Amino acid sequence: MADSPLFAPLTAPVVRPLRWIGLALAALIAAIGAGFGFAQGAPTQYVIFTTAATFTLTLWLWNGFFVRWIAETSLLSRAAAERAGRQISARAALRGFISGNKGVLAGLAILIVGFIILSLTLTGFLTWANLVTALFLAASLVFTTVTSRAFGDNRSAFIGLMVLGTMFIVASLHVQGFFSGANIKSMLVFAAFLGIATVGQTLVALLGGLDLSIPFLIGSSNVGLLYLIGLGIPSPIAVILALVVGTAIGFLNGLLSFPLQGQALIVTLGVGFATSGLTQILTSIGSSFAGNVFGEVPKWLSNFAAMNGVTFGIAIPPVIFVWIAVAIALIFGLKNTVYGRYLYALGGNRTSAQRIRISERRYWYGVFTISGFSSALTGSLLLGWSGGGFIGVGDPYLFTTLAAVVIGGTSLLGGHGGYGFTVIGVLVLQVLTAFLVGIGLKFEWQQFIYGLLILPMVALYARSPHIRTQI
Amino acid sequence: MSSVASTARGTSYNTFLLVPILLFFGLLTIAVVRSPNLMTSSGIGSAEIVVAPLILSTYALMATALAGRATVDLSIGPLIGFINVTLIQIHTAGVISSPIAVFAYALFAGVAYQIVFGLIVLWVRVQPIIVSLSGYLALSGINLVILPRPGGSAPEWMANWGSGTTIFSPSIIMVAIATVGWLIFSTTAFYGHLRLMGSDERAAYTSGVRIGVVRIGAHVVCGLFAGLAALAFTGLISSGDPTQGTTYTLIAVTALVLGGTSLAGGRATVFGSLLGALNLFLIGYVLSTFDFGSVQGFVTDLCYGLILVLSLLLTVALPYLQRWLRHVSPLLVFVVLGLLFIGVALHATFDYATLAPHAGAASAPAPDRASGNQDNAAPPRLPPLDPGAFAPVLEQVQEGPGFARSLLSTRASQLAVLLLAIVITLRLMVWQAGKRRMTPLLYAAIGVGGLLGVWLLMDTGVFVAKLGR
Repeated sequence: MADSPLFAPLTAPVVRPLRWIGLALAALIAAIGAGFGFAQGAPTQYVIFTTAATFTLTLWLWNGFFVRWIAETSLLSRAAAERAGRQISARAALRGFISGNKGVLAGLAILIVGFIILSLTLTGFLTWANLVTALFLAASLVFTTVTSRAFGDNRSAFIGLMVLGTMFIVASLHVQGFFSGANIKSMLVFAAFLGIATVGQTLVALLGGLDLSIPFLIGSSNVGLLYLIGLGIPSPIAVILALVVGTAIGFLNGLLSFPLQGQALIVTLGVGFATSGLTQILTSIGSSFAGNVFGEVPKWLSNFAAMNGVTFGIAIPPVIFVWIAVAIALIFGLKNTVYGRYLYALGGNRTSAQRIRISERRYWYGVFTISGFSSALTGSLLLGWSGGGFIGVGDPYLFTTLAAVVIGGTSLLGGHGGYGFTVIGVLVLQVLTAFLVGIGLKFEWQQFIYGLLILPMVALYARSPHIRTQI
Repeated sequence: MSSVASTARGTSYNTFLLVPILLFFGLLTIAVVRSPNLMTSSGIGSAEIVVAPLILSTYALMATALAGRATVDLSIGPLIGFINVTLIQIHTAGVISSPIAVFAYALFAGVAYQIVFGLIVLWVRVQPIIVSLSGYLALSGINLVILPRPGGSAPEWMANWGSGTTIFSPSIIMVAIATVGWLIFSTTAFYGHLRLMGSDERAAYTSGVRIGVVRIGAHVVCGLFAGLAALAFTGLISSGDPTQGTTYTLIAVTALVLGGTSLAGGRATVFGSLLGALNLFLIGYVLSTFDFGSVQGFVTDLCYGLILVLSLLLTVALPYLQRWLRHVSPLLVFVVLGLLFIGVALHATFDYATLAPHAGAASAPAPDRASGNQDNAAPPRLPPLDPGAFAPVLEQVQEGPGFARSLLSTRASQLAVLLLAIVITLRLMVWQAGKRRMTPLLYAAIGVGGLLGVWLLMDTGVFVAKLGR
């Protein structure tokens, strides 16, 4: 935009003072940082380094996004109007500004009103920390909405990252020990379980389906694996067996739901119910405690997923590395392999994908098979984490896999999104949960806030266009 | 599966109803054979108070599912729970107690929630499933805040709703009013607009339908049904429960799909939803008549899942069967199977004791159907799907020595019923099927054969004994 002929000559005089303001702001922030650093008695070289970094970062963000936004949005229309010889009154300009920024203004209004109401009703709510948090949230909201306009397709990823960063900072301000190695490790372990479970859901959503059998498969593989180990089967073979069965059930899901794509949701739910029922019948036969399986979890599996696991001498459980590897492979694979590109093609438009001879059937079966595999893997890993079989271990994953996919920005209608987005969604969910737990909210309040937050998060980027623009 | 309806050219429009109808009578027959006391006044009464909230919540889902954009309101269960717990808390606080106030509150709460839902979908333009997911989490959280554990008591006039001793309980009257209300609603122009919007929103918009108003209207209807469902639920449990209501989400969505409603929008029938909800109840009921010991709940899960998948697959197979099914009208199938079922039910519940007044001769009681039934049919337990108390009284089927003698008269009376049924059915078939005279005869033959088969098997005790073990 900045190099368009219409734009450059007019905005130069306006942009220049903006740049000076940015410089001053960066200097101010850097000076505050330096002052704090010296006041706390940090080593001098740290303070110098941090100050330089803060200065550069602030300046870069200001110039890169804010200056550009001001120039692009508010000045461009005015320039065009002046060029056309029309005068714009102050009221019209204001109206234009409001209609162009409805979302931000509404968000700010809700934030301010909410803060005032909470301060008036809850005694002891109005503290400096909360005030700073509210101001920080407001600034972050404005910054995110404004700068995200510069991103094209990756807008939702940018917003997700901003939400993640904001929440992380707010949580660190309010929860003692949130920003500590142990807490980050535990969050990552939970995120890894959710992340692996969401692999299948993401791929299925890319094709426009939904897999609701994931929680049941997780629970079944969790119980079934322990049962197999209890039968005396060597544990690696038992794990492989559980994974194979999970994959087979995933394939069955695909097979049954292919002719019923509109109702894939219900088909997978039915298959899930049947699987979990069958697993429990099989594992309960001859047991006096129906539904419970007792047994010893092998050491290597515990080490694999438990919080105190060790990977080649590093005190981080291997499950985190597995998740990272899976994420890299999927992000790379979806972008750069034929399989990945065809998946997007099918999700975007079935008919045109069929015209270039992409087999819809094969890809549908494929994503559901992968979903079955990833669910079984999550169930097996959760066995290592918890050390005991429990059929209900998958229950929370019914809605969290869905929520992670949606919060990340993958469209449930197919064709848009990817696993990278889901990773951001998983992390956002995990940090949010850890924060809500950390400030000592009870479960029901957590769930309530969780529900209220999903909507605005999704509304930031997953809004569908108005019907009149779709004709 | 819009192809199902569209391929049935010039013939029956509601062919997709065949699957729920077949399933319904299949399950009903097994249920009656397994546990004849379902067909008593108290059996029907207690069944219908359990099934009423499910039917009403399925209706609620149906209203928004019609509106398209995959509006499956996952929050319907927590909404029922929300109205339930707030109602109980307000009543406990002594604010409202009269029936009018309670009804007004429940309906208002349902409608208000649904209007907010609709406005969010309209203005924020987020996918409806996200809004419902958000509502699910928020409401199920706040329910626990309002009422941390089950408790409280419903208004006094509501206390005897849950007893289920009569057929005409308030719950079933609400269901009847809702059904009739929907049938009236479906004759209005608004309903036409709603269906048009559900099948193709763009076409509706371009042809001048005010889609915003129509969408809000669908949500208002949904809210009314949700309020009624919450009342039926409150009547069933006679107290407040923050978590039970949430379970209605999954079963109501399942019932909706079983009833042939398209989740993509534009196709739903009140009859299908009714049958879907009844089928789900019957699955649980039939399974509860079998005794699987400690794995009872798991077998229920298994069968539940299998029946769900199978009936959906039948829906897929339907277009391929159209060649043969083109001249089958669902109404006709319903009538035929209904008569068949009445025959079975009469036989299963017939009180043979009245035909055997002479209890003099001390001949050894024959190991007949009645005693076999008494031994094998376990008292039906609480179906795991359905909340609330459900304790049908096992009716004692008495046996008498005069059984063999009375069999003749029984058979004669049943034969009369059978003949009457055949005549009525044939007349209906000729009326429905037009020129194809051969097909009705085939159906009649199958029907009579089936009836005789069930009858004979039951008389010899084979059927009951085999099912029992």
